Amino acid sequence: MLWVLFKESLFFAWQSLIVNKLRSFLSLLGITIGIFAIILVFTIVDGLESNIRGSIQSLGNNVVYIQKWPWDFGPDYPWWKYINRPVPKYYELDELQKKCKSTEAIAYRMGKRRTIKYKSNSIQNAVVAGISHEFYKIKNFDLTSGRYFTQNETDAGYHLALIGASIAEGLFPNEDPIGKEIKISGHKAVVIGVIKKEGESLLGISFDYQVITPFNFARYFLDPKSENADPIIYAKAKPNVSNAEMMSELTGVLRGIRKLKPMGEPNFALNETSLISKGFDGLFDIIGTAGWIIGGFSILVGGFGIANIMFVSVRERTNLIGIQKSLGAKNFFILVQFLGESVMLSTIGGFFGLLLTYIITALGKDVIDMDIGLTSTNIILGFTISILIGIISGFIPAYSASQLDPVEAIRSN
Amino acid sequence: MMRPKIITFICIIGYLSVVFTFPQVFSPQIKKLGVFIPAIYGILVAANFIACVGLWYFKQWGVQLYVISVFAKLLFYILSNQLGFGFYLNLAMSFIFIIILLRFYPKMNQNL
Repeated sequence: MLWVLFKESLFFAWQSLIVNKLRSFLSLLGITIGIFAIILVFTIVDGLESNIRGSIQSLGNNVVYIQKWPWDFGPDYPWWKYINRPVPKYYELDELQKKCKSTEAIAYRMGKRRTIKYKSNSIQNAVVAGISHEFYKIKNFDLTSGRYFTQNETDAGYHLALIGASIAEGLFPNEDPIGKEIKISGHKAVVIGVIKKEGESLLGISFDYQVITPFNFARYFLDPKSENADPIIYAKAKPNVSNAEMMSELTGVLRGIRKLKPMGEPNFALNETSLISKGFDGLFDIIGTAGWIIGGFSILVGGFGIANIMFVSVRERTNLIGIQKSLGAKNFFILVQFLGESVMLSTIGGFFGLLLTYIITALGKDVIDMDIGLTSTNIILGFTISILIGIISGFIPAYSASQLDPVEAIRSN
Repeated sequence: MMRPKIITFICIIGYLSVVFTFPQVFSPQIKKLGVFIPAIYGILVAANFIACVGLWYFKQWGVQLYVISVFAKLLFYILSNQLGFGFYLNLAMSFIFIIILLRFYPKMNQNL
């Protein structure tokens, strides 16, 4: 019986929406814009977050970066404490490799932007890196063709290079790059491998635009003593060793190498990827909150619009309510009829808002080459907000309609 | 019977709390707790609002819904581990309001 009443009152609500098409459209527009604003911001934030977290993940959770500058994202960064620190040196790598027992691999890398040429083709601002042999154990990358350097090639500084997918596409549009001779700042290098395409990374750490060469060859065009070459020593922990244990050992060994006094300040930074994650957490919270406030106001305006239209609807149909009640309609029937109308309005508005978000993100995905899409969480959230706003804004008009006296209601014009 | 002033006061506090808690339904903090958490929290906010409308019309179902929504909300806060100052303030105020509402309960209208 209750179900029949419910179904019938929803049918009445639907009829009323169809009869007043323009009014229904205008009142659901507010909810559409509100849901669109909130869900679009959440979708973009989720997309950016997953891209950045993916990039951070690719840096390795169990890898520690030995650098001059600590990673810190606070407003009071004491740069004056770090400015005179030395950059990591290549000879320190040998010492670390000999003395550290907790590490699986330790590698050195320096890099700077340089112009790469092959015949008449050239690519400007490609990142050229000079690496030590164990670099492949630290950074995960696959080769689509060719091979990695041998130990002898890296130690002796053979004039060889591994190139990123975008470099290969730019320099060798119709040729196989393997075995070809490219020029890096005027120095010839033979391409022995092409790195698999990784796609855009918001942290700018994709291998697509990189050329990797042995360290002893890269010294010809990169200065390892210069901070501009951004020298880094990477240390990867053994499987059952925690980062904290490895960092403790690295600190001791490095202090010994640099002959630091026991109580003196260290002149190096041991950076972990978790520091980047923490830095981005704050940023995403701010973006998410900004979207929440902007969208919240739009939703509020949309809700007032629906409440207003529902009051008008009740006023217009007062005598109809009177007739329905005099024919035996219960208060519950009238309540569900008007509440159903407002929930339907807001749900349809929410649906169009989600549809609009889907279209915009689908179009945007091609433009910015990033994986942004509506997630099930955001779809559920969108519908939840729409239904909720429909209930809250429609309940008072619906309840006041259900409380009308039938005689008074029939007499009203 | 006319609605007593204390119930009007409770209703106003209730409406204001809905205004402040409604935006929390889609806040990033609630969203982080789980996929269906905003929906559950939304139902609680809506129930609280409807209960206030019932109290405004001096109906017994308003008190019944108010008590249910208060306990459900407290349970939600406990399960989602949100036991800050707001939780204890909410707890104290809700229990005072429930005691007041139960005093007027027999005089309230039994119909929908």
